[in-house]
Amino acid sequence: MTVRLTMQGVVRGAREMAFVTPSVILFGVTFGVAARGVGMEGWTALVMSMAVFAGGSQFAALDLWQAPVPWGPLLVATFAVNARHLLLGASLYPWFSGLPPWQRYTAVALLSDANWAQAVQAHEKGERDAGYLVGSGLVMWAAWAAGTGAGAMLATLSAAALRTFGLDLIFVTFFACILMEMRRDRRDDLPWLVAAGASVAALWWLPPHWHVLAGGVAGGVAGVLLDARR
Amino acid sequence: MPGADLALLAIAGMAAVTYATRAGGLWLMVHVPLSPRVESFLRYLSGSVLVALVVPAALQEGSAAWVAIAGAVLVMLATKRTMLALVLGVVIAAAFRGA
Repeated sequence: MTVRLTMQGVVRGAREMAFVTPSVILFGVTFGVAARGVGMEGWTALVMSMAVFAGGSQFAALDLWQAPVPWGPLLVATFAVNARHLLLGASLYPWFSGLPPWQRYTAVALLSDANWAQAVQAHEKGERDAGYLVGSGLVMWAAWAAGTGAGAMLATLSAAALRTFGLDLIFVTFFACILMEMRRDRRDDLPWLVAAGASVAALWWLPPHWHVLAGGVAGGVAGVLLDARR
Repeated sequence: MPGADLALLAIAGMAAVTYATRAGGLWLMVHVPLSPRVESFLRYLSGSVLVALVVPAALQEGSAAWVAIAGAVLVMLATKRTMLALVLGVVIAAAFRGA
């Protein structure tokens, strides 16, 4: 089968990704509520979800949502949290390199962890239509936006109410869950320990907001050194 | 809070950076083949960034955050279901705070 991007592929991807809709909506609601919790306007949260479409970095941005805008930390944190996309995109190269560049670079606009995993799985089973990634991405994008809008509208909850229900703990818990999913084997332990140490040191001794970058880079470098010794 | 104009500008900046990460991996593979060292770095980067998001936040938040994380990790180990682990972790921590 040749590589292409068609409407049939889009529909197929959307249909096979539909099962995630409830959880993505729920997660979108938590983002909408959390955004209102830090004082962000509802429409701003919705626009952010539609334009950025990357939950982890959006939650990280809530921590930095203040005037004056801390541009450096905000954009660096966005890059650091989303840098994993580079790997996902790189892994699509054997499949997408056969497409015209404009299709290739349009399709990846909707790249995220879940639909990437789904698309890679489909590719193993013989899928060659890049529309699959677009369709499955559209489902996630729509659910994410709808959830954010609903959460932002419903969020008359005060910060105190958020605490009562533990909603202020949602993102730290979510990231811990994703970490559990991401851990491959014991190779990850030492770099992650280095990342933890560096981020805590940065929290104590560096200006605010640089701890994510410090931890990420330290863990990445530790991983490179560790791999080099094997 | 940033005003409307600055908020939109900040969102546009985030969107541009995020798109660059989405398209960048593919672009790099087309133009510059990744060295094993860069590949290795990127592979550990995502997990390390998540660690750096979790640990300092939990340190600042205190015991309830550690309860939520421990609860979620246990549920993940038992069931491998992210959404269930997330909800149970948060519910357990809320109960812990109330107690």
